[in-house]
Parts: sequence; C-alpha cells; structure tokens
Amino acid sequence: MVCADADDERRSATVTALESAGFDVLAASSVSAVEAALDDDVDCVVTAFRFPDGDGFDVVGTVRDRRPDCACVFFTSASPSELPRGGRDQIVEYVPQSVPDARDRLVDVVEGATAEATQAAYPLPENETERLAAVRAYDVAELSAEATFERLTALMTTHFDIDVAFVGLVDEHEERFVACTGANWRTLAREDSICTHTILTDEEMVVEDTHEDPRFAEVDRLDELNIRSYAGARITDEEGNALGAVCCIDDEPRSYTRAELDDLRRFADEVEEQLLLRRRLGGGGE
Amino acid sequence: MSEVSLQGDTVYEFERLPLEPVATGTNLLVTGPTLGGTRELLLRLLLGDDAVLVITADTSARETLADYERVGGEGPSERVRVVDCSQDDDADLGEFVSAVGSPGDLTGIGIEYAGQYESVYARGYDTARTGIYTLTPLLVYNDDVRPVFRFVNTVTSRIRTADGLGVCAIDPDAHEDRVLGSIAQSFDGRVEVRDTDDGVEIRVRGLPDQPREWTAVPALR
Repeated sequence: MVCADADDERRSATVTALESAGFDVLAASSVSAVEAALDDDVDCVVTAFRFPDGDGFDVVGTVRDRRPDCACVFFTSASPSELPRGGRDQIVEYVPQSVPDARDRLVDVVEGATAEATQAAYPLPENETERLAAVRAYDVAELSAEATFERLTALMTTHFDIDVAFVGLVDEHEERFVACTGANWRTLAREDSICTHTILTDEEMVVEDTHEDPRFAEVDRLDELNIRSYAGARITDEEGNALGAVCCIDDEPRSYTRAELDDLRRFADEVEEQLLLRRRLGGGGE
Repeated sequence: MSEVSLQGDTVYEFERLPLEPVATGTNLLVTGPTLGGTRELLLRLLLGDDAVLVITADTSARETLADYERVGGEGPSERVRVVDCSQDDDADLGEFVSAVGSPGDLTGIGIEYAGQYESVYARGYDTARTGIYTLTPLLVYNDDVRPVFRFVNTVTSRIRTADGLGVCAIDPDAHEDRVLGSIAQSFDGRVEVRDTDDGVEIRVRGLPDQPREWTAVPALR
C-alpha cells in the first residue's frame, strides 16, 4: 500500500502504525510521489488531504486512472465539511485524525478495505475469494489451450456472423482475453467489462444494444472498442466457480435467437471441457 | 436489548417484525413501492440499542427523524445521526445531521457517512444500524451506474467489516430488473415488501431461517 502525507512527522507515525499491522507500506509526500509509487501490487492508498502539488482528490484521480479497483482512504484532520467537493464519483473511505486512537481506527478500516475489492465500481460475485483462487488454478498458456480456443473463436465469428468472438478469464482487476478472433484485445478493466456481469449468472447474458442498457450506456471504453452488442455464456470449473465467459461481439445492435444462444452455450461447454481435461492431464499448475 | 448472544454469536434482533435475528455484518436490500410500507419497515429495522445512521435521499432529515421517533426511535443524539442528501432545505439540525447538496454527490455522501460512523464509534458504540432511504435518487442522479456500485460496495463493506447492520431500500419499479439484479449482488439478502388490502406483507430471499412466503407485518397496519 501507499501512505501519503506532506507532513514528515505525521506520515512517519502513520507508516509505522500500518507497518506494525503487517502492511508493506511505501511512503509518499506529494501527489506526484504517489503516482511514482503506484505499481501493480498496490491495492490501497491512505492519503492526507493537502499537498504542495494538489489535494486528496488529485491523489484519488491519479490512483483510479492507473488502478481502478484500488481502495482509497482519506486520513486527515479536516472534517467532512472542511473538505472541498471532489468529483461526484470519487468515492473513498474516510477516517478523521481527530477521533481517539485514530491510527488504530485507520488500521481497522484499511484491513476491511483491503480484504476484498470493496471500492470496486461493479458488482462482485458472492464467492469472489474462492472464485479468484479457481481462476488462478488455470494457467491457459501452460495448458496449451490457446490454439484450440483460437479455432473455436474463429468458428464462432463465422457461425454467428459477428465481428469478434473471444474467450475471457475474469481476474481480480481485469478481464484477460486468452483467445480472441476479430480484434487484438489483451485485457479490459473489470468495471468496463460486460463479462463482469455475465459471471454472476448461469444464464446466457445478452446486451442487444449497449447504448440502451443503463449498465453500459456510459462506458466509453466499450464504444472505443466498437462493442455495441454482446452475447456471453459463462464458463465454470467443476465446483461451479465462474472463471470467465465465451462471448460474441458486434459493432451493430443485434439480437440472438434461443437456438443461437444454445449454440453459444455449446461453445462455452467445449471451452469448459477443454480446460478441465487439460488440467487433468497435468498441464496446468494447481 | 436489541443485541443478544445466540449460540455464542452476536446478532441484530427486530422487535415486532416477523423476522428472525441476523448475524452482525449483514446487509439487507429492502425492495418495495416508495409510498407503501417500505419506509416504515426500514425505520423499524433500525430500532434497537445500537447506534443508528440514516442516509436519507427521499425525504428531509427532519421528516425522517420525526418518522423514526413515531415508530419508537430516539431523536438526533450522539447515538442517532443522519446524512441528508434530499435537497430539502432544512434548517441546521446540529452536529448529528450532515447535509450533502445532492443525491448525485456520492463522494460527499460517503465521506459524511464515514465521518458520522467514526463519531458514534468514538463515543463507544461498536454496533451500528445503517439505513439508506432510498438508493433510487442516487441511481437517478448518476447516469453512469458504476459510481453507484462503488458507493454501495464501499458502504456495505464498511458495515460488514465493522459488524454493523445495513438496510438499504430501493423502489424496484423505478429501475430496470438488470440494474436491480446487479445492485442486489452487494447484499446478503433481500426483503420484499408489498401492500395488500389486508396490510403490508414481506418475504425474504437469500437468508436462511427467514420467512420465504408472504408474511403479514401487523406492526405496519
């Protein structure tokens, strides 16, 4: 985690409290220092409010640009009414330094905020911790399944007459495209990914027009990728943990017949079975 | 006592309601028509000896507190606090009521709520019941639903990790089912409310040992 405070003494005391609680802490004294400290392992940023080069909301903006799921906690002597208003969507946790044993409270809140993706801008599956462990158990590269999946997604684009077909695994922070025909996508942040919603249901998920669906109409990234319609079927492991989804994408609004969705389910079943068989053959790490 | 030890576990109890106690850290979504018994049910779910925090978006803090007292609750105090984002121009109600300019300002609501939570905690209350009435204006004022997910995840997570109780109302007719379904994901259970000729009825989904069939709520009639 990162702990930011322009005041050396206060920052040092906060870092010590967090380290005593078992956190790995990088100290920062400015907004730009927070930006420099951010890496893929940071999952929480505790920040004071005033810095020489900006304020706490600038820190939140910087953090969320790089790490959309990262928990942000304001730890400041300013009361809520003294804080200027940030962006309406810069939601953070807040612990005032004025409460008794403030650093103990901070540790409690940080422990809660880092236990799971608590500031995620998308719905989380109930069993997210077990689900993530299940996803990690499948190393697709090691399973040598990519070529098989590429063949399947190529078949799907022809079969459904669509622009793009892919197999995506939903990791902790992003969806990872392990096979993709019709586009060169590698990853997509979970808050921008429709599959984030698909993994919540055992039914096929259809978005006939992203512009008409309130969950996705404001997601600019989908427009940038020319994703206007979507059909997806989730893939699970033997225990029922959702690993990701097999999906159809087009740049025009379109609907899917029941027969087409049954076919999509068959493609997804094929992917599930390939993953399972290859893991049983010992290709992938547990 | 609203809070008792049941087989060694601390729970939240609901007096005069046909609901079994729930474990600490539970978040409930209450769905029902805004003008029906939903509002009174939510206020009754907050009754107890714990601290009470209400985020009110549909009615003013003054009206909310008056209604809470009417069902047997206490007025604004160290223990009973309100975050008002209803845009009703209430006079200053003191330190126990915070005002946020708009239900769209999720950042402001979140910070004021956390501030009030920390205040009751600092006064020695380690269990708190949080009511949100309702989530509907927060969704209506935000075109993008993602910040609302972030807000709901942040608040329900604080409640879960602080051993609190969360009760959040939403008008299901004001939103598409697919949005409601995604929002419901952050909650442990759903209490459905309906008004019938014979009075208010509820049923519960997602939690064990609660009424699954429509059950009358005599206290609301």
